[in-house]
Amino acid sequence: MELTDADLIARVLVDDDQHAFGELVRRHQSSVRGVLRQLTRTDIALADDLAQETFLRAYKNIRSFRGEARFSTWLYRIAYNCFREDARKRKELVGVDEEQLQAEHDPQTIDPGLRHDLMHALNRLPLNERTAVVLCCQNGLSHDEAARVLDIPLGTVKTNVLRGREKLKRTLAAWGPN
Amino acid sequence: MNAMIDDETLDRQLREAALYIDDEGFTERVMARLPAARREPRWLRAMILLGLTLLGSGIAYLLSGGGRFVREGMIQLSDFPIWLLLVFAFGCGLVVGAFAVIVAVRKTPEVRDIARLRF
Repeated sequence: MELTDADLIARVLVDDDQHAFGELVRRHQSSVRGVLRQLTRTDIALADDLAQETFLRAYKNIRSFRGEARFSTWLYRIAYNCFREDARKRKELVGVDEEQLQAEHDPQTIDPGLRHDLMHALNRLPLNERTAVVLCCQNGLSHDEAARVLDIPLGTVKTNVLRGREKLKRTLAAWGPN
Repeated sequence: MNAMIDDETLDRQLREAALYIDDEGFTERVMARLPAARREPRWLRAMILLGLTLLGSGIAYLLSGGGRFVREGMIQLSDFPIWLLLVFAFGCGLVVGAFAVIVAVRKTPEVRDIARLRF
């Protein structure tokens, strides 16, 4: 029988079992790296560095995980904090590069493949809306869980998801075949 | 401009667009950076716990006058009618069971979240 996340966490806590932690990393690496790639606008190297930092912090602070949320939600929160700290270090202010991105992504040159279009449309959203859409619509977090990950009010998450969705739909409709 | 898709379709397309990222050595790189595991053996912790328990029991035994109150309590209990003892045992079982259920619910997010569901 496959061990649950809770079983593996218990092994890490009780026995300091690094193999158990390795299994947790294997299970969650794809989703954490995926979210970070969206946040960093597909900068794969940076996203993977931040993902490594996320798991290292998770290991060092695993005693503070009280099981009130899903382990993945807790990881997303650490990942988002890592991303914000890194962005602060790089003096990238949240949301101010939107105009630059609008200029970079010319809809006329977008690949017609749906996935490609979606990812490009997603990357054009402001960070707060993109993060909310990635967490709630793509990774299945509830609005409540996303609010805890992002440490913002529930109403703000709902607004960001709503706005992000509408922008995505409008962008995709504009790019779609006539 | 084309017609806009609905929320459900958009969410499904977003989920499908999120490809699984192969590990490709990522986990190994993380594991290599982990701090060294604690080397304290499990048997040592078990022995310390056992030793402290025995020490505590010994002190309690001596302070209680050689466990006299336990013997007296047992003698008093033996004078109780059998139905009263059964009710007492049943009550104790209920209290312990309720306590166990509360602790289990508090420690299990999947069960705890049921209370938040809206039907």
